[in-house]
Amino acid sequence: MARKEKSRREKEFGLTAYILKPMLVTAKQTLKSTINRPNTVQYPWEKLVLPDVFRGRPGLIFEKCIGCGICMRICPNRCIELVEVDDLKHEEGKPPKKVKRPRVNVGRCMMCGFCAEYCPTDAMIVTPEYELAAYTREEMIYDPYKLQFPGVPGNEVHIEEILPSELNKGVAPRRHVEHVDLPVVDDKKCISCSRCAKDCPVGAVKMVEVGVNEKGRPIKRPVFDKEKCVSCETCVEVCPKDALTMQEVQ
Amino acid sequence: MISMYLDIWQLLGGLIHWLLVDIIGAFVGWLGFHGLEAWLGSPGVLNFVTILIVALIVFVVGMLVSITLIWQERKTLGRLMDRRGTQVGPIGLFQNFADALKVLVKEHIVPEAADSLVYNLAPVVIIGTSLMMFVTLPYSPGFYVSNPQLGLLLTLALFGIVPFAVLLGGWASNNKYTLIGGMRAAAQIIAYEVPLLLSVVGVVILTGSLNFFEIVQWQQDNVWLIAPMIIGAFTFVISMVAELERVPFDLPEAEAELVEGWGTEYGGMRFGLIMMSEYARGFVGSSIITLVFLGGWDMPDFLNVIPVGLWFLLKVFMVFGIIIWVRGALPRVRTDQILNLGWKRLLPLAAINIAIAIVFKTAGVF
Repeated sequence: MARKEKSRREKEFGLTAYILKPMLVTAKQTLKSTINRPNTVQYPWEKLVLPDVFRGRPGLIFEKCIGCGICMRICPNRCIELVEVDDLKHEEGKPPKKVKRPRVNVGRCMMCGFCAEYCPTDAMIVTPEYELAAYTREEMIYDPYKLQFPGVPGNEVHIEEILPSELNKGVAPRRHVEHVDLPVVDDKKCISCSRCAKDCPVGAVKMVEVGVNEKGRPIKRPVFDKEKCVSCETCVEVCPKDALTMQEVQ
Repeated sequence: MISMYLDIWQLLGGLIHWLLVDIIGAFVGWLGFHGLEAWLGSPGVLNFVTILIVALIVFVVGMLVSITLIWQERKTLGRLMDRRGTQVGPIGLFQNFADALKVLVKEHIVPEAADSLVYNLAPVVIIGTSLMMFVTLPYSPGFYVSNPQLGLLLTLALFGIVPFAVLLGGWASNNKYTLIGGMRAAAQIIAYEVPLLLSVVGVVILTGSLNFFEIVQWQQDNVWLIAPMIIGAFTFVISMVAELERVPFDLPEAEAELVEGWGTEYGGMRFGLIMMSEYARGFVGSSIITLVFLGGWDMPDFLNVIPVGLWFLLKVFMVFGIIIWVRGALPRVRTDQILNLGWKRLLPLAAINIAIAIVFKTAGVF
């Protein structure tokens, strides 16, 4: 169907649509913004009221953190690094223990909050801080002490998950549905070195003797505690012979 | 109230006579220079100095009012768009002075391809004619520079010089945008001169005068001319908005199509003064509307405490507020629409207005 040729009347001004209605709309708008106040937020002097779920820079509750490194692995911008720092709590007279804690480059952080969502112990939180400008790039790197933030209950974000098969069965959404992946060991590659057991942040790996080799030394194989494991993949990373892989639990 | 009826010419003439004759003249005479004393006391010198000072005062007042109009536009447009507008200084009053300082210290560049004589001449003509229009405007019975018998015609004629200079400037800048802008300005302003002048004819028929004082006096005696001449006032305001090259008729400097229109190549203080002269013309246009249709400084009796000059300025600000409102509300029209509107709508309306005026006059209503 050919397009309808515009009539001469339509080409010219429509009095109502082009003139009267905009005048009315702007008059209303002016009255509204004069009687109330304009939409402008005068930023340095007044700030927006943040919603409770605002996701600013990540924060850390130092005592809760187990140093598993899930935040480091989940970070889309790779701005989190695990560094060894002195523990905050230590007994008198003894040098403080070295612990692994995340260090965040907030200059690169995009405030997605994944680190807080995936943290197995809720040590990572999202804070309402968003004014992060600094004079040097070094100031933008928040070490674990600077990263600390006294969290309030709303600051812990976590994923509540439910399996598709459970949708109609009245099962309440719960956390860590997918954090049940377990490492599996390849018997041929394992050399019984026990690194996985040493480095496991939650102590979920136990070395079990399964026999004796030809030199008379015990052959050890890791056994993973399904209840304790947080699926952090630390053991997979530290394994010198790549004997461990993560296996998804069906 | 003394200030209400004080004549600026009498006041300053008296002051200067006192200064030149009784103070300086007496001192010079005491020194023995009797020739100089006689020269200082001669009417020519006294008149010259008085004219200079009055012109200076009216010029400064006009410029200050123009600056206030810029401020008013910024604030009102802000409210129209749900924001605050300028905020430098108390309620944003200092922004224009800061802007003026900024453009003042900028380098003056003449484009390489431009015809430098005409390029430099065009802003002089634009700014000169814009500021010259302050001369014919009376703010109150006592505050004016000159009182020509054909003041209304003279002011509108001065309005007509500007498109010539705009076309010159646009041509001399040697840039496609400026040329198109200048052409558009000329076409538009010439088209709208006709309804502008014709809509005033009705006023002239009714009042029998082209003098601002007599028009205002007629309105004080009878009724504000907006009541019988409502069609004429409507036509006049629309034509005046087109004449001032303001939205919705800002084709000559349509930012979306032509960078800054005919003023693209003008930078620094030239840009500042052209901008300023646009608002000066806005002030003059609003003043003409006020004087011709809204009774000038005529005010109801119970408001007598307000000085008449101030009352006049309040009306001017109100008229300019309506122009700002139109700017905030309406979209820019196309070239064919603008000419259609001018020739096919406003011209017949102006003619009808003249007919109404003739009917009123012959029927002897006023």
